[in-house]
Amino acid sequence: MSRRAVITGVGHTAFGRSTDRSVSELETEAALSAVEDAGVSPSEVDGLLSDPGAMQGVLDGITPHYLRLGAQLGLDPDYTGSEILGGAGSVAVVERAVLAIEAGLCTTCLCIYADSTTSVKSAYRYGRGDDAVYGFFGAVGLHALAARRHMHLYGTKPEQLGEVAIAARAHAARTPHAQKRRPIEMQEYLSSDPIVEPLRKLDCCLVSNGAAAVLVTTEERARDLRRPAVQILGHAQAHSLCTQAAPEHFERLPAARCGPRALGQAGLGPRDVDVALLYDCFTIVVLLQLEDYGFCKRGEAGPFVEGGRIAPGGELPVNPSGGLLAEGYGGGMLHVVEAVRQLRGEAGERQIPEASVALVSGHGLGMNTHATLVLGR
Amino acid sequence: MSDDTTPPLPNPDVLTQPFWEACRERRLQVSACEECNHLFLPPGPCCPRCWSTRQTPRVVSGEGRVYSFALYRRTYHPAIPEPYVVALIELDEGPRLISNVVGCAPEEVRVDMRVRVRFEDVDGFTLPRFEPLTMTGGAS
Repeated sequence: MSRRAVITGVGHTAFGRSTDRSVSELETEAALSAVEDAGVSPSEVDGLLSDPGAMQGVLDGITPHYLRLGAQLGLDPDYTGSEILGGAGSVAVVERAVLAIEAGLCTTCLCIYADSTTSVKSAYRYGRGDDAVYGFFGAVGLHALAARRHMHLYGTKPEQLGEVAIAARAHAARTPHAQKRRPIEMQEYLSSDPIVEPLRKLDCCLVSNGAAAVLVTTEERARDLRRPAVQILGHAQAHSLCTQAAPEHFERLPAARCGPRALGQAGLGPRDVDVALLYDCFTIVVLLQLEDYGFCKRGEAGPFVEGGRIAPGGELPVNPSGGLLAEGYGGGMLHVVEAVRQLRGEAGERQIPEASVALVSGHGLGMNTHATLVLGR
Repeated sequence: MSDDTTPPLPNPDVLTQPFWEACRERRLQVSACEECNHLFLPPGPCCPRCWSTRQTPRVVSGEGRVYSFALYRRTYHPAIPEPYVVALIELDEGPRLISNVVGCAPEEVRVDMRVRVRFEDVDGFTLPRFEPLTMTGGAS
């Protein structure tokens, strides 16, 4: 009997700033849609893993996210937990589901991301311990350090960050459920309000309420299901926990370590990737990952993104659903969902022809955490 | 309402108290590992390189360079109005710390700019901020 894990169902809610619906309702809708997409019965779900975004310890107090989630879904799973890895959490819970299934701990595992970022905004504006005394607030300040460093080392231009923002909107224009579907041009990017220079408002991801879910099961169980199973070709994590004390922290992401390992498991290299779903909380993170994953050489991500190379129809389409910059802040789980849709050939107008290998990344906290999945048909 | 007027302040613990006490006396100090001589910040229970728990404080020159910086154009805390510069300072002795660059216009800050510590008193604490080294001739 094969214990190989595959992805067999995906689902999500609408993403946007609306607070009409509670997080519990959003989570439930995402869970139901993933289970229905897969065509399995809720009673088959025997694993529950969650990425609670910024909610953990904020909305839930001392109640772990998986506990509230399990109670509302009526689950008594054989395996459960929540990952607190910031933006790497969603990719990491899918990886953890794969590990749990292949180890025989459970068979059909629901992975859920949910957040209510509009109601826990303060969590994204936090100061980092005593560094708050200097006004070092928010994830944007941290990423501004990385962006400035990249500009200093390699001459990266604001217009090259702008290419990432423009590509995201161009992709989102072809994505019916995206939060920001209106395309933008360079002039609009350059006149966007500065937030923490060198980053502008259009360098920053959206603020969204929403939930997304992915169902992982065994290859054997997936065989009789209605959807084509998506294969897990490789997975790895790497982390940089010392922040500024780590010599290259603001120049290179841990992706440079886990990317080659994940691709290596698949027997693939960066040139084999048909579509990249790169965590894009800020435009600079896309540039860093293009280098760290080996899509281009160190320092060359700025020129690499020029001429629409990561835009629709480009040589390496990045985030064809628009990503965190335009589709909605989906924690990273929406990146997994889009990878699955592309590999199944279900992406409609934005479908990348013959997409057979997708790389999905998650990046989190103070640029500390990173997780990679390589998925295939 | 006190949140509107009181800036965020350090929250010293048993490990960081000596750092803040030294700042009050206008000395910038780092931790020196007695086993491997690694100099490190922030203060911690062991050397992050060799895990030795034997360490002594080491006063450093207070000079270094701007490794990178972020120019805040949004006010996140009413007591810290924009514009201001948060910088990652790399001390000449090696350790890095987050601080502010003051004593020049925010637009004049550059990566690799030479800087020197300037202690500033804020609500009972003394913060180690940094100013351009070339512009400090007449200062205090």
